[in-house]
Amino acid sequence: MRKKILTVDDSKTVRIIVRKAFKSYDCDIFEAGNGVEGLAVAGKELPDLILLDITMPVMDGVETLTKLKSDPLLKAIPVMMLTAEGGKEHVLKIAKIGVRDYIVKPFKEDVLIEKANRIIELKPLADGPGKVRSILDSAEILIIDDKPAIVAQIQEGLKHTPWKVHGVSTQLDAAEACSKQLPDLVIASLTLPEEGAYSFLRMIRANLKTKYTPVFALVVKTEIDAQHKAQEAGFNFVVTKPIDIVDLESRMAKAMNLDMSGRYYTMDDDLLVLRLPENCSQTGLAEAAQYLQPKLAEAVDAGQNKAVLDIGGIKALDANVIKLLMQAMQACRDLAMQFALVANAQLIAECKGFEDTRGWTFYETYEDAKANLGKGAAKAAPVLAGT
Amino acid sequence: MPAVEEISESLIRENITRAVGDVFKTMMGRAVAFDAAEAVPGEGESSAPQVIGTVGFIGDINGLVYLYLAEDFANQCTAQILGMNAFELKTKGEAVVNDAIGELTNMVVGSFKNALCDAGYPCKLTIPSILRGRNFCIQSTRLAERRSYRFTCGSHRVVTDIILKSGD
Repeated sequence: MRKKILTVDDSKTVRIIVRKAFKSYDCDIFEAGNGVEGLAVAGKELPDLILLDITMPVMDGVETLTKLKSDPLLKAIPVMMLTAEGGKEHVLKIAKIGVRDYIVKPFKEDVLIEKANRIIELKPLADGPGKVRSILDSAEILIIDDKPAIVAQIQEGLKHTPWKVHGVSTQLDAAEACSKQLPDLVIASLTLPEEGAYSFLRMIRANLKTKYTPVFALVVKTEIDAQHKAQEAGFNFVVTKPIDIVDLESRMAKAMNLDMSGRYYTMDDDLLVLRLPENCSQTGLAEAAQYLQPKLAEAVDAGQNKAVLDIGGIKALDANVIKLLMQAMQACRDLAMQFALVANAQLIAECKGFEDTRGWTFYETYEDAKANLGKGAAKAAPVLAGT
Repeated sequence: MPAVEEISESLIRENITRAVGDVFKTMMGRAVAFDAAEAVPGEGESSAPQVIGTVGFIGDINGLVYLYLAEDFANQCTAQILGMNAFELKTKGEAVVNDAIGELTNMVVGSFKNALCDAGYPCKLTIPSILRGRNFCIQSTRLAERRSYRFTCGSHRVVTDIILKSGD
């Protein structure tokens, strides 16, 4: 739930700075220019936190605080003073009335955020409202492992992605790397000395900027106890060795909340293209199926009415591939979209061996399918057996 | 009631130097250097357009601090504090600059007077006000102590004029 923060300050400058400081967090900022306005807004909005100045016209901060604390409805709202009044006696006097924290101006936005986060849990907005990151976008991946071979294996396995994969060998190096460039995802080996992976996890969770960064643990498959311990400690996922790179990539993309549709669906002129990649796992098939309806709807909304369903890259046909193609073809029919199938000679031969796929017609190249769709060949193009 | 004379010049100078430096560094990331050349009371007054923030404090000791900035520099400071460019600032008008310089002065004077509070001279701040203009002169009463200090911030000059008087 979005947090509500009320800033009560007669300076518009301070209110702008507060708004700016919190803009990348999931919260609404309410403003008041003096204590009277502040009490009114607090009563109406019941904010999660009040930032209160002291020296203000109409009603100052001390009187405002006293009234807040004597109001049964408002007294539980945490108040943080944000004021230039910072003499020790003054601070003690106000602390006795009841404040959760006290910031003396001048202040840095980071300090304000950090202190506010100790009172209410602030959640950073992912990448600004409305922007969804895609599998085709760059991402920073940090691997903490003192075995260079493991780092190299993951780098090699992910080299086809746009992700930048960096390896460090110690927890300290990882902390330094994070201070220079915030990672989008971290993989930490559980075999680091002195439980370094756990210390790193605690550090990253304690920092507001990284507390939601996915952290995977890395451990040998047979170390069952270590896997359970890592799950209980709060690692987002436990990667087991030997590493299944295809599965790891999929888990990473999901943990980073990436839009995966770009891996399977592209637009080519007026065509929607579904193309299964060579190393498409069962997880990949499920992902492709998940995006099928939204991508078709998107294409129709964009005025496109042709689709190519290309399985030419995959190594073997199985029931899930057939199921996906059947779903895709049926969806195209429902939306009155022309479509064509593409497969290699081996897959086409395999299709002849199944009752359900025997009647399907394929093109052997994408270019052929595209050219024939353009000629209106879809009417003669693949039909489901039995239809 | 403590007398103003008890407050040494070095305490005033050190506190205002620290206050100006902290505020400019924290709010704008700008370094400010104390200009050791002797400042003459009222030297912030200039024929060039000025924006002058004023904040007072009252208590066991009363005072008024003026922060003099050239208008161009005041605009630059405001843009930096609020993260605006020159065009945005222009469209917002003078009120935004007045408010930002008022708050900047509030922070400087707050920091200065908090140190006086902790040194045994309890007092509290008043609300900031702004003066704009050129070729004017601020005079203090004979019973008041007046200290002026000059600072440099890059190629700009910042002047603080401090008027102190014992509390009633």
